[in-house]
Amino acid sequence: MTGSNAHTRWWTDGAVGVIVLDNPPMNVLSDDNRRGIREALAEFHDRGAAAVVLTGAGERAFCGGADLKEEGELTTETVDRFLQRGDETFRALREYERPIVAAVNGWAMGGGLVLALWCDLRVGSTRAKLGAVGVKVGLMASNVQLSRLLFEGRARDLLLTGRTVEADEAHRLGLLSSVVPPEQLMPEALAWARDIAAQPPDVVTALKRAVNTALDPVVTASAR
Amino acid sequence: MTAPGVEHVRIVEMSDITVAVVAGFCAGADFETVLGADLRIAGDGATFSAAGVADPVACARRLARLLGEARAKEIILGARTVDAAGALRRGLVTRVVPAAALDEMARALDDRLRALPPLALRAVRDAVRAARELTPLDALALEHEHFRRLVTTQDHKAAVAAFFERREPAFTGQ
Repeated sequence: MTGSNAHTRWWTDGAVGVIVLDNPPMNVLSDDNRRGIREALAEFHDRGAAAVVLTGAGERAFCGGADLKEEGELTTETVDRFLQRGDETFRALREYERPIVAAVNGWAMGGGLVLALWCDLRVGSTRAKLGAVGVKVGLMASNVQLSRLLFEGRARDLLLTGRTVEADEAHRLGLLSSVVPPEQLMPEALAWARDIAAQPPDVVTALKRAVNTALDPVVTASAR
Repeated sequence: MTAPGVEHVRIVEMSDITVAVVAGFCAGADFETVLGADLRIAGDGATFSAAGVADPVACARRLARLLGEARAKEIILGARTVDAAGALRRGLVTRVVPAAALDEMARALDDRLRALPPLALRAVRDAVRAARELTPLDALALEHEHFRRLVTTQDHKAAVAAFFERREPAFTGQ
């Protein structure tokens, strides 16, 4: 199975679905690739793909985040729709019943970092660079994700400075599960996805849901 | 930023962000103060201990949020004194340099924070501080609330314009 639109390509490789953000060099978020992600996941769902790999085309970026020009022109009238379109896509990754592996091939910055962080696992090439750069352009993004994936001490450092985290540091912090040379990135991501695909599907689905909600406050009878 | 001093533990305000600069032994009330800062950096001679804190329960909660349960318990229940390298590895501080370079690192961090748009910096600070009390959905809603306000600021427009003109932006805090 294959599919595509102007900024996205997707296909299945055995039990694994692959999505490529394909508007290099920076693969900035566009209506096409936001819709492409959602369409690809819907098709993978129908075909019973057991795991998904998401990556970016080219050597420079996984995803450069929102189009700065578009962001610069946002007004109080248009910002809600903008946030909603982002959320629909991020939620589609988070709520997809199978694990999604981000293959971070270059920059993941701003909304592109959000995209990578909403995936269930991240593997990176030695070219991977992560940046919570929202603050640098007078905005904010990835607060919620970083505060969940990292403990607060480190989340604050990345969010308040907007600094660049290179692949090795990202690995040390746990934001990347492995780091490999660029030419080995897709085989590495596919290997993680196939390992997941080899597990009992119902268990995997239940586990993803369990971890997604593990940090949510529990309302117990006694606490009500 | 205040002038560099000789104290082992300083809390420095940089663009409304509180930064703990730790050069030596840090325990008790100092340790509690340091945990309350937004960011923590240290010289390689710094050591940290939860011994002698006035409110061990608050300290335990704060440590667990900053470092996670395992590392918080190691420090507070295991009564471990943690050296600078150990503090960096655990995320208790996010940068460590030789003692002689600590003031320089603090200045560099101050420069970095000053170069950021103040409204966004404060919004991120507030959102991160608030996030720990909120459910993920409420935290996301708060993030969006800040975002809606920030996109209309002059500093955001200035940052975008500077990016396309390949120059450093000048922020006014408006």
